[in-house]
Amino acid sequence: MENIDKKLREEAKRLLEEKKVDVLIGYETGTLPLTATPCFITNPEDAEKLVWNAFCTQNLAKFVHDLISQHRESQKRVKPEDRKKKVVGVVARGCTTRSIVLHLQERQYARDEIVIIGVPCTGYVDRKRLSALVGGEDIREGAREGDQLVVKTAVGEKRIPLKDALAANCLTCRFNNPIMSDVMIGEQAPPMSPDQEYVEIEAFENLPTEERWAYFTKEMNKCIRCYACRQACPSCYCKTCFVEQSQPQWVGLGEDATDTQVFQLMRLFHMVGRCVDCGSCVSVCPMGVDLRKFLKKIDKDCFELFENRAGSSMEDAPPLSRAKEHDKEDFVFNP
Amino acid sequence: MARRKFATLKRFLDYIGLEGDRTIFTWISASEGERFANVIKGVTAKVRALGPATKLVKKL
Ligand code: SF4
Ligand code: SF4
Repeated sequence: MENIDKKLREEAKRLLEEKKVDVLIGYETGTLPLTATPCFITNPEDAEKLVWNAFCTQNLAKFVHDLISQHRESQKRVKPEDRKKKVVGVVARGCTTRSIVLHLQERQYARDEIVIIGVPCTGYVDRKRLSALVGGEDIREGAREGDQLVVKTAVGEKRIPLKDALAANCLTCRFNNPIMSDVMIGEQAPPMSPDQEYVEIEAFENLPTEERWAYFTKEMNKCIRCYACRQACPSCYCKTCFVEQSQPQWVGLGEDATDTQVFQLMRLFHMVGRCVDCGSCVSVCPMGVDLRKFLKKIDKDCFELFENRAGSSMEDAPPLSRAKEHDKEDFVFNP
Repeated sequence: MARRKFATLKRFLDYIGLEGDRTIFTWISASEGERFANVIKGVTAKVRALGPATKLVKKL
């Protein structure tokens, strides 16, 4: 790990010094123990802050999109001959590169506006899981020792196998190495267990309808509509989100449970062929809503019906932008 | 494209626990009057069998 950090910093510093990138998005150590937080680096000296470890949770493609679209917007006020291109560098693991592929396919920015520093990924720690493993106690200090996390809380010290604390999406991840990169740091990471990826979904599919509905409503009742999931999601980048539109108003803002259910349904359904299973929405949700149970189903259907996995290849166009003659039609009602 | 959206939407609504028969799609051309009547008959029969909707209904 030390070695990776060192290489990462060198590479980042070089890119900034040679002005290959205007800003570099990466992770730095967070203010709480066992956390990392996104950071934006413009000064080559600050590259020393960069880290790459099992506490880097958020999908940084979100910020790539934000920075480039804001920059483009700001350039509209500049005389055409004075307009500048802004190049954004990003530290990207597998799912981040999938989001970048998606952005490129959806024509959000051009390939020459980004520089990808690829990093291998062996999964990140799910803060909620970790917290549950220490009985919800405040984590005062922590460190990683090999395959274990040593966590100190008010009630004492505990050793936790890293694997137990990894996020669910990481454990069954199919693309833990970058899909594409300009520079690659470190060796390819060993595969996770993608063969298990739909086990949970299949079990849920086999439950009776009413149980599924009960689970859906139970989960959605937790939601406080803070929209943190939308803010964190790289695929949620509409300038005006349907939840904030008032003409027409697609979904009510009141306390009615159906409004929340409709909000969730619509956001989830906008993820067909677009959710890369990065888990960013799940990790930022303050209420612990089980969003993945529904997102992963969309991914499963998308693969079964259209043989597509979101952002997995530049050549494979987004599934909802094309159709094949032999697409299944068994859902069509023909009395 | 619309066909693909319908296919995924129907599966998804079924998955979250809406009765599958409440989401019905088909293609009808403007010139197919008889087919239109048949489809509507089929749809009403299915919905009647299910009874009034209780899910995703907003009380105003
Ligand atoms: S919906 Fe969640 S898991 Fe999917 S791409 Fe967006 S943030 Fe990532
Ligand atoms: S982050 Fe969680 S609580 Fe907030 S809107 Fe999303 S699902 Fe609801």
